[in-house]
Amino acid sequence: MLIFTLRRFSLFFFTMLLLTILSFSLSFLFPGEQLVNLTGQINASPEQLAALAYEYQQQASLLTQYFSYINHLFHGDMGYSMTSHLPIMTEILNRLPATVELTCVALLLAMFVGIPVGFCAAIYHRKAADNIILAIAMIGYSIPVFWLGILVILVFSIQLGWLPSAGQISLLFEIPHITGLQLIDILLSDSEYKWQAFQDATRHLILPVIVVALAPATIFMRLARSAMLEVLDTHYIKAAKAKGLTFSQIIYRHAMRNAVIKVIRDVGLQFAHLITIAMVTEVIFSWPGIGRWLIESIYQRDYTAIQGGLIVLSTFIFIVHIIIDFVYAALNPLAREPNNGT
Amino acid sequence: MNLIDIRNLSIELQTTTKPILAVDRVNLTMKEGEVRGLVGESGSGKSLLAQAIVGVLDEKWKVDADRFHWRGNDLMRLSAEERKAIISKDVAMIFQEPMACLDPTTTIGEQLEEAVDVEQLSGFFWQRRQQRKLAAINLLHKVGIKQHEVCVKSFPHQLTDALCQRVMIAMALARRPMLLIADEPTAAMESTNQGQIFRLLASLNQLKNMSILLISHDLENVTHWTNTITVMYSGQFVEAGTTEQIFNQPYHPYTRALVDSSPKANRMIPNKSRLMTLPGSIPILQHLPIGCRLGPRCPRAQQKCVHAPKIKNFHGHQVSCHFPLKDSYS
Repeated sequence: MLIFTLRRFSLFFFTMLLLTILSFSLSFLFPGEQLVNLTGQINASPEQLAALAYEYQQQASLLTQYFSYINHLFHGDMGYSMTSHLPIMTEILNRLPATVELTCVALLLAMFVGIPVGFCAAIYHRKAADNIILAIAMIGYSIPVFWLGILVILVFSIQLGWLPSAGQISLLFEIPHITGLQLIDILLSDSEYKWQAFQDATRHLILPVIVVALAPATIFMRLARSAMLEVLDTHYIKAAKAKGLTFSQIIYRHAMRNAVIKVIRDVGLQFAHLITIAMVTEVIFSWPGIGRWLIESIYQRDYTAIQGGLIVLSTFIFIVHIIIDFVYAALNPLAREPNNGT
Repeated sequence: MNLIDIRNLSIELQTTTKPILAVDRVNLTMKEGEVRGLVGESGSGKSLLAQAIVGVLDEKWKVDADRFHWRGNDLMRLSAEERKAIISKDVAMIFQEPMACLDPTTTIGEQLEEAVDVEQLSGFFWQRRQQRKLAAINLLHKVGIKQHEVCVKSFPHQLTDALCQRVMIAMALARRPMLLIADEPTAAMESTNQGQIFRLLASLNQLKNMSILLISHDLENVTHWTNTITVMYSGQFVEAGTTEQIFNQPYHPYTRALVDSSPKANRMIPNKSRLMTLPGSIPILQHLPIGCRLGPRCPRAQQKCVHAPKIKNFHGHQVSCHFPLKDSYS
């Protein structure tokens, strides 16, 4: 287990190394002055620029420049946004929690819906239920997310008026900023309208979460279905049958656990996909998250913001990936063995 | 009374084009306390037959029999659920590759505990957990595993193949079966471990009067442990009789060839000479010969062999051949 953990951390280290190199080289590749791209100070006077150049060790070699950039990153300094002139770090810290909330809820929803449905499909293999589930998965996977988002808003918020179409919470509620995660903040606050606020926030969350979760859920369905079919075909299931266990005992005690392990491996990969979907969805639902901010920055050629957002989002994806790897190791005794832990 | 009596059991593989008869009207009878060997090349349908008896074949396979009696009960008349209930109570099976037959993510202890029959437990439900644990440890002791504490906590991949097979046998014993079907229990095992497993099976047979159907491709090895032997070839019944009859005086040309192909059975052959083999190889399922399936390879084949032979019985020594070798011994 220790070696498994060490391996994950070394992987984390090298991925971060590559990411920072990429982000650093972006400042050269973007049009305009490299130092300005890096710091985001477009209106600086020549004296300020000279001070910045000294700070980022522009006179020294490329390697030293890179290390001074890393140094700044470690101190939480990612420069200033070219459009809003606020520090990138503040901008990100304001927006990241909303994205974390949206994507994590969506991931959980996708897993808790997709995987059991996929198992059902495998259990009813080659029967009507299987075909229906496969068809739904195919359709769900093929629907473009921007179209689905607009459609959902049209039907559920405009025509039926059931759920709000934009934002994270109604403006009526005033929630102090503690962790940044809206739902947790509401529960922590001591407002007397706490439960109304919580309800309102949940209602705001429903539509975007469904839109984000649909495509990953359908992928999980197919992954879970094929994993379950594979497991049901193994010798140990046959041996369990010969042991006299009933079908439901076999499914619950042996098949599910082994199939879940196979699916969990791919959840990490799908999370990156989910983030991309979430970025588009944030724009549609005016969700105050980092994805929408990043897309706006791209439109406004805010190069500093693009670099910062890139690093933060990829780090977030990677951390989730590692957490999922640990869940995988917790479920699978084979992965915990030192010689098998890849 | 016969323990199990199977007459003309056929197994068909349902394919998209036409069904393939993988096992063609095989007979099998066993008495209580008997150790019967089921011998044949790989692909001769012996594992299929065993899995059909236990009822673990999936929907691809269609099983049919003229008679399927279990201790005098006609199982063909019962519904699938009733049949499964009787069979899973009295028949247990162990497989080749024991490691693959244990759930890799569950500890040995848990897997053993769930094999323990509810009927063997007494008392209230809060006492049952403890009883199950005790029963699991007892089972491990029965198969000769002394370090039960370590074993119960291990996962299958942490044990050796031979230990895994012992655990499989322990699980099979959990329901106190009348019949244990061992499907090549020692394939891919070292010879010392093979001996251990066979000795364990033999002692179970002697101490608990448990019948064993021992499936193997190795006729010579099986003869040490069995009372009677059934030989199969390419899904057809070939010959059945006591071990001495089969090994010393085989009536069927195929059995003769099997015995001749083993170096120990014919020690008189000169050094470095070739062992006797049949020409060709076992036919694949898509191109099975009609009649006796050995026909194209048989040294004694004649025109009559395109029709499947009837089984002839010589004092309990059954053989399915138009031209048995009976007269060549005398």
